[in-house]
Amino acid sequence: MGEIRIQAVCGFGCGSSLLLRIKIEEVLKENNLSATVFCGDLGTCLSQQCDAIFISEELSERIMNRAKVPVIPIRNFMNKKELTEKTLNFMKDFTK
Amino acid sequence: MDNKYPISKENLAVKVTAADWREAVRAAGHLLEAAGSATREYTEAMVSAVEELGPYMVIMPKFALAHAAPSEAVIRDDASLITLRDPVCFGSENDPVYVILSICCTDRDSHRESMKRIARMIMQEGAIDRLASAETAEEVLAVLGDDQGS
Repeated sequence: MGEIRIQAVCGFGCGSSLLLRIKIEEVLKENNLSATVFCGDLGTCLSQQCDAIFISEELSERIMNRAKVPVIPIRNFMNKKELTEKTLNFMKDFTK
Repeated sequence: MDNKYPISKENLAVKVTAADWREAVRAAGHLLEAAGSATREYTEAMVSAVEELGPYMVIMPKFALAHAAPSEAVIRDDASLITLRDPVCFGSENDPVYVILSICCTDRDSHRESMKRIARMIMQEGAIDRLASAETAEEVLAVLGDDQGS
């Protein structure tokens, strides 16, 4: 299996998505997991090759029905528990 | 940009009075304009972004990250931070908002390192509450400076 690719998405791909990416990378590192995390924007995220999209809960509704990969909505970027749970759950499901 | 802090003292405003989220976002944007880092158009683009995309920029309780797409309205990468005398609501579950960080970037990647530093600071436990209760720019800088050396 190739490297797992996680796309962190926000409106323009350079603000909150970057914070999200940093936090996901932290969680992966702390749990000795490996994945490539990159930033994307709402307009083009569905055409980017990836295995999952992490996105703020409010924006998730805009892509949820059209995405071909799991869309993981994040309510509170600061909440380490939420991010850790959702990241680990995705990694577990994906590598099953 | 100041070397020690990703946000210079000139780009901070404490206990700003704003009647609503639009005024608050504009207050943060005006600091970027005053610094010569972005134009008035960029400030308005940040307001439009919330109108068009909804309040997702309120990414955690009490805190909004205001920004718009990289464009010609951005002169250089920069960030500003305001705290509000009275919080404003964006229509988010993470309302009310006490602290707004606004960023402008010329492209997606150029500001990554300074964003990382800012992210580490604001995501420290209790950082937003400490920023919200700060009475002076020096107190804000002290909170932002906590990350230094780590």
